Amino acid sequence: MIATIIFWLIALLTASSAILVVTSRNILHAAFSLCMTFLGVGAIYILLHADFVAAVQLIVYVGGILVLIMFAVMFSSNVVEDTAEHGRNRLAMVAGGTSAVAIFAAIVLLTERLAKPLSAANKFAGAEYVHTVSVVGRETGLGHYLMGQYMLPFEVVSVLLLAALIGAVVIVRKELS
Amino acid sequence: MDQLIQGPNALENYLILAALLFACGIFAMVSRRNAVGILMGVELILNAAGINFVAFARFGHDKVDGNQLDGQIFTLFIIVLAAAEAAVALALVLAVFQTHRTISLDEVDEMKA
Repeated sequence: MIATIIFWLIALLTASSAILVVTSRNILHAAFSLCMTFLGVGAIYILLHADFVAAVQLIVYVGGILVLIMFAVMFSSNVVEDTAEHGRNRLAMVAGGTSAVAIFAAIVLLTERLAKPLSAANKFAGAEYVHTVSVVGRETGLGHYLMGQYMLPFEVVSVLLLAALIGAVVIVRKELS
Repeated sequence: MDQLIQGPNALENYLILAALLFACGIFAMVSRRNAVGILMGVELILNAAGINFVAFARFGHDKVDGNQLDGQIFTLFIIVLAAAEAAVALALVLAVFQTHRTISLDEVDEMKA
């Protein structure tokens, strides 16, 4: 019961801050709302028993990407999309709203239609919230996966990250005269 | 109503939450003019995909013994790729701002002329 209340509070926080991210005129307010969204998604990961993913979410998203976004917002001055020449295009607002609502409705309808097969596959339907996965085993299992079955993607993604960071430095570097 | 009471034990709840994040991201990508705002929409979409992967990893298999972690691995890769993408995108934003003094994507249209 308590787990249910906590889940809905977190879901409400995540959803409302995500809506604030896309609706607020001040881009800096949107960045702060994005911080709340990332924290809420991290809490959702914990409710899904993905503790390590939640930790990585906090470290990389809140500690890294969000700081980068705030730097970019504050370096590129015009923070408020309020004035006429910086306001949003009304046509783009209508198109974006329509497509967003259509996609959301489609996914919700699909989920409702798939509710029966999903709950048949779902071992926890109707059950109380219980720790079914041993706490010790999961992170060890993730490590074995990353160093075993997913070794090649792991190495490729590390090289890609290095290349992307070097590329970012090269792009913003001032030319030496 | 049943779904409402089940809360964290119903897969559908996670899917609907992720769908909401995805829709918000689409809206931001289409309607924002600020390049950083569009990047925020992309981050929301990536987070929605991550929630879906972890939710299916928890609910969508028979054995619940800690060895069915493929979905979590996928989410970890998504987070790393999001970090790389954000670094490059924000570097591009700063480079564009240095040359154009704006990051409104309606005004950065040199290729048209």
